[in-house]
Amino acid sequence: MECVVQGIIETQHVEALEILLQGLCGVQRERLRIHEICLKNGPNLGNVASEVRLLCDLEQAEPSWTVKHIGGPIRGAGADQISVLVRNMVESKASKNVLRMFYTLGYKLDHELLRVGFSFQFYRGAQITVTVSSINKMPKLHATDEAEPVTPGIQMVEVTAPASAETYTEVASAVSSFCEYLAPLLHLSKPGISTGVVPTAAAAAASLMSDGGGTTL
Amino acid sequence: MPIRWILHWQPHQGTVVNSHTLNEISQCVENINGVKDGRWKSTLTFYRPNLRDQSIATDFPRDFLGISLMEQPTKYYFIIRGHKIVVEADSSILTIMEKLQSYKSKVALNFEGVQYKLGDFQLRVIKVVPNQAENLRGILMEIEYLPISSVEKSRPIMEEFIEIWREVLSKKSLPGHFMRAEPNFKEYGLGDTYTPQHTAVQYAAALAQLIASVQLRN
Repeated sequence: MECVVQGIIETQHVEALEILLQGLCGVQRERLRIHEICLKNGPNLGNVASEVRLLCDLEQAEPSWTVKHIGGPIRGAGADQISVLVRNMVESKASKNVLRMFYTLGYKLDHELLRVGFSFQFYRGAQITVTVSSINKMPKLHATDEAEPVTPGIQMVEVTAPASAETYTEVASAVSSFCEYLAPLLHLSKPGISTGVVPTAAAAAASLMSDGGGTTL
Repeated sequence: MPIRWILHWQPHQGTVVNSHTLNEISQCVENINGVKDGRWKSTLTFYRPNLRDQSIATDFPRDFLGISLMEQPTKYYFIIRGHKIVVEADSSILTIMEKLQSYKSKVALNFEGVQYKLGDFQLRVIKVVPNQAENLRGILMEIEYLPISSVEKSRPIMEEFIEIWREVLSKKSLPGHFMRAEPNFKEYGLGDTYTPQHTAVQYAAALAQLIASVQLRN
């Protein structure tokens, strides 16, 4: 399981966001360059439509692969009360032939994208990862070197935290609390609920840039 | 990781593998001063595609296997022999495959054996039994040479050991002999340094030979 919220920020304010995150997290950022390949089962394979994501971390000296299955969100009255999305998610590290294996098993490419940016991983009530990245599309199959931004000038911010059936309430609460610190710069919400950029972002960013994050927002 | 060769027992024409043969082989290991060093178990699963239209089954791989190795408890290995694919993944890949529901387990085989220490060698005499059953379907043997990890550098030593081992076995006049289906590791994208993926590929090759010999007899 994982708890997730997403939002968008103008690229011109990313540096300010980084300063804010640096101050809040107390850890160094890590560069991010992930090739995300989304596969779906072919028309005759399986009784239900299934989707699996293969993530190739291109930032490492030797690219490393992760297989990720994202399931449905938890349902019920409790789920509606929670401001973050809680969904089933399973990940597995895999060796380099994994893409070829899925193609051979009958999976087809649905879409692919390249995420370029940075992330912070830290503990604050839960193990939280904040990812700030541009989403890039590829003009040719798997051509990561030729990727171009889908929305130039806008970057995606994602806050995730692993959870379980026993802990998701606390984890969701920790994620929610953390997101409040980012509110002047961006609004984070459940994926699929678009909120756009926040009107205070420019002023907040200017404040952060002028004194390197010393100002309390 | 030390180099390992996996041999499969090829029964003579008209004979079947049985527990008497297994016991004789184990006895031979002890006769050359192999010291029992614990038990060992692995599981191999054959997967088949979950298809809406069975007539197109030939469009999908028929040799998709998964194997768990006792010495790698957090990992799982997939092999598609016909396409020379081997993948190492975390064990959580099984949960993912279950959720995808595109492939289902068809047959599972257990490899159960006794491990022996013999100087710089580690030997395993392994019986192949279907999951949920007791009847012996085959015998494998693992020969591991602890000081060397290079596939090529270890070849002369392993060949010499196999020669000696075959001589020991020949004195028992057993109805069969050990063979090795040596896969081409390079075709699987594997290098000279031995890894668990090399083991997974060897198991797949040995199984294919065992199945072929059963089919021939039938």
